[in-house]
Amino acid sequence: MHLEVATEKPPVLFTAWVNAVQELCALVNALAPLGESLGVPDLRKTDWHGQLFDKLAPQVSPEAVLVVAVCGGTNTGKSLITNALVGSPISRSVPEAARTRYPVASLPKGLVARIDPAKLFPGFVTAKWQSQEDAIDGGVQKSDQNDSVHRLVWREDVSGQQSPRLVLLDTPDIDGTLQANWHRAELVRNACDVIVAVLTQQKYNDATVREFFRAAATAQKTTIIVFNMVDWPVQRDRITGWLATFCAQTGIAPAAVYAVPFDAAAAAAGSITFYALPELSVAGQLSNRNGLDRSLDKQIDESQDLASRLANVDFNRIKLRAMKGAFQVVLNPHTGVGAWLDAFETSASQWQEVKRLLAVEARVRVELPTAPRELVWQEIWQWLEPRRSGFDLTVSKAYRFAGKGLRIVAGKTGLIRSDAKRREDFSALELAALKRGLADFVERLEDISRSNRHAASLLDGVLVDGNRTAWYLDLECRHAALPIVSEDYRQFVRSELDRFSSQNPDALRWILTGLNVGAVARPAITVALGWAGAAAVPAAAVTAGGLSSLVHHVGDVVVGGAATLAGEGALGLTIVGLKPLIETLFAGWSSERSRVLAETLHNVVLGNRLDEIERLASAAARPEVAQARRLIFECSREFSG
Amino acid sequence: MKNNDHPDPHPLDLASIVDNQADFSKFNELVESLKHWIHSAPQWPPAQHIAGQWEQVELRLDRARLELSRVLVVGVIGGTGTGKSTLVNALAGCNISPAGDVARPTTIHPVIVVARDVDLSWLPVDAMQARVVHSDSAAIANIVLIDCPDPDTQADCVDQPAGGSPADRSQAQPTDSNHNRDLLEKVLPVCDVLLLVATAQKYRSWIVAREVAMFAPGRPLLFVQTHASRDPDIREDWRRELQSQGFVVPHIFRVDALQAAQRAAALLEPEPEFKELVTAIDAELVGRAARRVRRTGALDLAGWFLLQSRGQFAELGDAVAQLAAGVQVQRARLEALAARAIEAKLRSSRSSWQGVLTEEVIDRWHGGLFPLFLHALAAIGSFWPRMRSVGGSLIGRILSGQAVAPVATGHAAWAAIEELGINEAEVEQSRSILIGQAARARIFEPLVGRARLDASSVQITVGTLLERSGAWLATGIKRLVNERRGRIDSALVRGAFEVLFSGLVVAVLGRAAWNFFIGHLWFGRSLDGAGFLLEAFVWLILWGLLLRWLVLVRVRTGLDRDIRTLVDRLPSARLIDPLLSDFAEAAAATSEFVKQRDSLDRDWTALAKELAEPSSELGRLHREPS
Repeated sequence: MHLEVATEKPPVLFTAWVNAVQELCALVNALAPLGESLGVPDLRKTDWHGQLFDKLAPQVSPEAVLVVAVCGGTNTGKSLITNALVGSPISRSVPEAARTRYPVASLPKGLVARIDPAKLFPGFVTAKWQSQEDAIDGGVQKSDQNDSVHRLVWREDVSGQQSPRLVLLDTPDIDGTLQANWHRAELVRNACDVIVAVLTQQKYNDATVREFFRAAATAQKTTIIVFNMVDWPVQRDRITGWLATFCAQTGIAPAAVYAVPFDAAAAAAGSITFYALPELSVAGQLSNRNGLDRSLDKQIDESQDLASRLANVDFNRIKLRAMKGAFQVVLNPHTGVGAWLDAFETSASQWQEVKRLLAVEARVRVELPTAPRELVWQEIWQWLEPRRSGFDLTVSKAYRFAGKGLRIVAGKTGLIRSDAKRREDFSALELAALKRGLADFVERLEDISRSNRHAASLLDGVLVDGNRTAWYLDLECRHAALPIVSEDYRQFVRSELDRFSSQNPDALRWILTGLNVGAVARPAITVALGWAGAAAVPAAAVTAGGLSSLVHHVGDVVVGGAATLAGEGALGLTIVGLKPLIETLFAGWSSERSRVLAETLHNVVLGNRLDEIERLASAAARPEVAQARRLIFECSREFSG
Repeated sequence: MKNNDHPDPHPLDLASIVDNQADFSKFNELVESLKHWIHSAPQWPPAQHIAGQWEQVELRLDRARLELSRVLVVGVIGGTGTGKSTLVNALAGCNISPAGDVARPTTIHPVIVVARDVDLSWLPVDAMQARVVHSDSAAIANIVLIDCPDPDTQADCVDQPAGGSPADRSQAQPTDSNHNRDLLEKVLPVCDVLLLVATAQKYRSWIVAREVAMFAPGRPLLFVQTHASRDPDIREDWRRELQSQGFVVPHIFRVDALQAAQRAAALLEPEPEFKELVTAIDAELVGRAARRVRRTGALDLAGWFLLQSRGQFAELGDAVAQLAAGVQVQRARLEALAARAIEAKLRSSRSSWQGVLTEEVIDRWHGGLFPLFLHALAAIGSFWPRMRSVGGSLIGRILSGQAVAPVATGHAAWAAIEELGINEAEVEQSRSILIGQAARARIFEPLVGRARLDASSVQITVGTLLERSGAWLATGIKRLVNERRGRIDSALVRGAFEVLFSGLVVAVLGRAAWNFFIGHLWFGRSLDGAGFLLEAFVWLILWGLLLRWLVLVRVRTGLDRDIRTLVDRLPSARLIDPLLSDFAEAAAATSEFVKQRDSLDRDWTALAKELAEPSSELGRLHREPS
């Protein structure tokens, strides 16, 4: 017997864990929202999360207290047993089932001054005990029937009889129709070191009950089993069989087994009798086996009265076992935080697949109508104007004057369409091509969303709930607002020509020849989703600024026919240098036109979804993942070593 | 049912049989309309989901209608340890199902307790892995009682790892041998009535509640609290719990099955509370009452099914309506585009109008000098080479009365209707917008097509569109031309023009005759000669042309206004419909499906009201969720 338990120092070992636990908590908290967006299964439902946040985090730093929780199914007499253990009525026992809605804690005298109960039970909103009706539904907290608030009622032991570092809790049920109760019981189960499992002959093999206690066994909680409502002594022999089933199903090795006889009158009076069954405890069963250190269990088992003996166990060893057990659950490679990180990385790779799909599949070839050629030529003429010789200029002016006159006459007679008319026609055709591009793009997104669950979760918000009429309106507005030749493009043409002439001394002559020959452009631009670092964006779009590289164009303007028109022999030489230039100029113009579509797609249709995909796809590369992995590795090595 | 030698405690009176049959004919009608409704389900996911659910429901409804006189199957269900087997033993009057506290679960295979002479060939005994036990107890003489396995000892999800190292886990894993809930779910479908057993410890069990909720629709229930001698009376709280789960709870029996079984074994008179339960079974589940139970159950099942189906559509009603409205908006948008293009084209085709109207005037005006002049002019004009061809354009061809050209194949077909202001891009825009709205109503392919029509549907839709618009334009133009012709059809107008033209001819001829007969022959003046005639002829031509121009002006005035009127009538022609027909049809089909459900629901409510039973001891699931 350890009579001076209370004066012992808290184990030094936990202080060595503080940093690791806190770092791991911080890493998990940092990754949790990302994991939720990734679609990783909710980590609050996992055992390791409960052990890390409900047990290790709150219990690793302050003075170590031993948490004892009384758990069991509805109407099995948990409150009655708690009251017996506490020694005075703390939690009301009622005939109806599932009435205890919140955990009730009995704290040793003076503990509140040292430890805030809210810090000890982080999952709960803690409240000071007023009466034994506090945790009962329909009791004092009538106002919050709202199940989202998890309350915990605590009372400081006034008598001073409770062992100075022992915390005793009554819990709600674990199998009733109110699932919020289960959750509260699970939070307490996670936090406890010793679990008092209240079983009855009706409930010891219920699936929900087994499930609950299996988790406690996995986390190495010291378990004391109390069979309540036993027909004593008629059913005494039955208990062996019941216990064997329960232990086989849950993996629990009971440190002690007690039987409480069925006695309605005694229960009503609040006085119940515990019968110890030492032959059924682990120590009793294994007393003949060697090589296993079961002295801890033996020590509990040898106690006679459950209430007073809970106070006399070796707190530090039980605590250490429970803390180690919790750590092992967290570090378990198959079910612990490592498995969660695996799921995290798997999901991230699925998002990478979504990103790849979007980059490959979501590209649309927009075939713009043949541009009014003179628009590009005009820009080139204007650049040439100051650079040309006097004679050349006069001749060309005369020609142009004559040409203008002819055009006016032809336009009046209706033989050819005027420039304005042609631009109007071009504009209408261009808008039609852009609209088709948009419809095509949306259809591709729909296909991707149909084939990929992850993409659907992100894109359906746009494809199903988005206002498509607004997309087209936006496209129309942008198109209408785009001047036929923008200042950006003008700038672009000048800089291209300047560059070309500085590289080619004979530039002027070549360009003039080229002008006479004329080029036929058939612009076709591929608009695709791209991310930073993707293929280069044509110059016009870059100089325009504003548009990030999230939507990029792949220009494949075909400028052809110049050589064949004029006879290859005559112009072969000049064309070599000239063709790429003219191609660039036409490509720049076309890509600027289709930028309208890219802007609509990026700003209105997809919004920030591309950033979101990028964020999710790169989740696995977050430094926190690597840090967590390293931390798990180090901790595991320490534990095994 | 072969229990003829048993005295029937409720001799059937003829009137009630007739009454029952009348009720069933109405119920049959309802089931038939339900079947019809399900068969009309469109390829719409919510509708398909309901059709899937219907398969199970239909089976049960048909059975309820066909096996009207079969004995009722009562399934005893409840958590393990609540005393199901003990209760069955007490009712059977002997120890036929193992009961007790040795091990949980006690009952693994279902036990069917039945009187010796009842035919069980229709029960899938082997599939349920059940054991049949015969009993002579009067309490179960006219029912089939099944002691079911419990729902709460089978692990929910065996494959979920519980944690710990692999060695630990294999130790901690539940034994895979427990399949009680799976077995239970094989037994419950054959049950007509559920006898729900609970104790103070188990009446709020979540697993039991889940299982009962799954099988309660259409199955009346009896509620029994057991362990009466040990447990406190929790019936009030249980009633509240059951009501919150949506049950109607007229009565909860409270018995001690163990004592009852002991008394039955000792051939003692049962306790009054147990007797009450036996009497209730006899009164509520046997003979005429069995038919009522079956009918109420079937009706409840149909009602539950209709309610479930409402849940499927409840949120989609608005979306379907929005799709229908969206089709109208897009139709109007495309029609406006078409109207603008057609109007502009008609207005700009001045020379074509001129030609058409002139022809019309000439065709209708015969006999007289002026018509003769007009015809001559037209004859000369026909030799004149045409300056501009109108043959190429659609509207030009229609105006000149030619047939519309056949549609080119595939996507080239779009070119044919370009002139109508409708191009592929605009149609795609409308269809893409509608696809979004359809998706909101969960309407997808194949109920609606894609934004871009494929080659074959382009040909069909564009072909129809071209045909319709050609016909509509041709009639419209014809009417317009006819109206205009009316302006010159009156004798007065014709007479006036005839007089004006003939007047000049007469004047010229009169002048020539005067000059020849009076002036030349009488007074001996010189003849005017050919010069005068030539001059007169030129004036005559000019005068004729002026008159012709006046005629045409009269015919042509207000043409623009009339074109606008014509184009305004475009929506009534429904030219655009073929392009968006799949969306319109999908919206109509789905909203019709939903509407039919509402009408069936009203039928059900009326029938349920009509067949409302006086309150009985049997509980049932509320149709309306609590």
